[in-house]
Amino acid sequence: MTAVATTSPESGSSGSSSGTAIPPRRPENAVMRFLKSPTFARALFLPAVLVFWLISNKLIQDSWDFDSSVLATPREVWDFMLAEIAGDTVAPDNLYGTFGTSLRRLGIGFAISMVLGTAIGLGMGLSRAVNAFFHDWVMALLAMPALAWALFLSLIFGFDDKAPVLAVILAGIPFVIVNVREGVRSTPSELFDMSNAFGVPSNKRTRHVLLPSLYPFLFAAARYALSIGWKGLVITELFGGGDGAGWTVKFWYDAHQLHGVIGYSMFFVIFALVLENLVLEPISRRVFKWRPSLDSPEIVEEAMDDLHDLNDELNAKSGAGTI
Amino acid sequence: MAEIKIRNLHKEFGTGADKVVALENVNLDMGGHVFVSIVGPSGCGKSTLLNILSGIETPTSGSLEITQSGKKAAPGYVFQAARLLPWRTVMDNLLFVQEDRSEATRARCQKYLEMVQLGDKGDKYPGELSGGMQQRVGIARAFSIEPDVLFMDEPFSHLDAITARSLRRELHTMWSDTGKTIIFVTHDVGEAVELSNRILVFAKGGRLEDDITVELPFPRDPSHEDVAIAKANVLRKFEEFDLLAT
Repeated sequence: MTAVATTSPESGSSGSSSGTAIPPRRPENAVMRFLKSPTFARALFLPAVLVFWLISNKLIQDSWDFDSSVLATPREVWDFMLAEIAGDTVAPDNLYGTFGTSLRRLGIGFAISMVLGTAIGLGMGLSRAVNAFFHDWVMALLAMPALAWALFLSLIFGFDDKAPVLAVILAGIPFVIVNVREGVRSTPSELFDMSNAFGVPSNKRTRHVLLPSLYPFLFAAARYALSIGWKGLVITELFGGGDGAGWTVKFWYDAHQLHGVIGYSMFFVIFALVLENLVLEPISRRVFKWRPSLDSPEIVEEAMDDLHDLNDELNAKSGAGTI
Repeated sequence: MAEIKIRNLHKEFGTGADKVVALENVNLDMGGHVFVSIVGPSGCGKSTLLNILSGIETPTSGSLEITQSGKKAAPGYVFQAARLLPWRTVMDNLLFVQEDRSEATRARCQKYLEMVQLGDKGDKYPGELSGGMQQRVGIARAFSIEPDVLFMDEPFSHLDAITARSLRRELHTMWSDTGKTIIFVTHDVGEAVELSNRILVFAKGGRLEDDITVELPFPRDPSHEDVAIAKANVLRKFEEFDLLAT
């Protein structure tokens, strides 16, 4: 048991041998605690952006000879988003049809990039020759900007589904390949040795050792493939599409309706947040529920048991007091 | 009872100028209800011998027979670190090394979890357990396949002194109760004297320098005078073979 010396504010005397008084910490009230909390900081972000937005609009209008109707106010964007959600739009397709088209393309491209990327990544991780064969081309794909793919694919395939789906694949697949390859390279060899020592069959080793050790890398690969693939998709639809989310942003741009451009961009943000919090995060929690928690009671429990055992033994030997 | 016959066992790593001799023509006979400890300085080939015995590594030359009543004996292994699958529960880790997942197998796994005092931790993940508890699971896993011979590679070296001491006691009880042949690698001479009735002293270069029989009654209290004298005698052998300087 450790004793901690404290100083009484009434006495003003020091509890330390050096005579240096440490003033007691005054308890904070609930309001101050809330104002300093991460919850408040997070909630403050949105009003801060709105204030910045309104001030920027005002400054631009005052200092520039500019058609103020081009600038969108938060209210206009809000009303636009509500109308889109209600299905009320002047665009050729409503919000649900537009996102349905884009999500279908994203889903197909994502599935292909995961399957192909995992197969190539496994090959590169397991074989030096396969790694040498693909290495430079994977690096080249990683360096290729989505914009270049968008222009290239739009020119070749025109205005149907092929260009956006291929854009999703080409933008996402190098990230899948690299993640899976690194996952294979870092599989825990000591667990394979353990399996060998116990004579565990190879198919069981693959299912219970190799695949689970790849899950964190597959999960990271899926996150990259989705986010980079989505960006590639939107840009390709913007340049070479006849429908979809990217094309609709361009529709509002061509119509000189800034609130439409901002509103649709906000839908992208909402989509990303929904995907992360309602799909990826719950899956991640479920798949990785085995990851250790720092405050496991068992760890403390065993330490106390061992100490008690030692105590009992010493007492039995010496008949003396406890430690 | 398992019988182990090792004849002219030789193991080298690397080639040419990088060649390292890990084991040099080792000849040994072990078997029955015996607890054999292998001691020696770092790099003397202790773990290499154990890995060859358990089939993780193959020898460069020589022969090896591990039999039980004339048939190939089933080995179990306890590693330096527990080597549990972090994504499987404690019970699933034991079931992973079994041939089936029947009720009888589960009951047997549960019995050994109870022997290491973790009967109520079957549904926990390894990350929720302390290092000592994880090592106990490793020991239960090795016993749960009911091996004829058990190989243990410095299983307590990563643990704190108190936990290691309590696990040594549990291991001795399990060895007494089950009648297994245990081959135990350690760099701790005190641990070897406390647990074993036979100690093999290896020198750098993988030479078997001495084969010592420890004839003290079990259980052995490490602070008892006779155990301390036995430990001093083994350490004297280390001095004799100039192993302390390495």
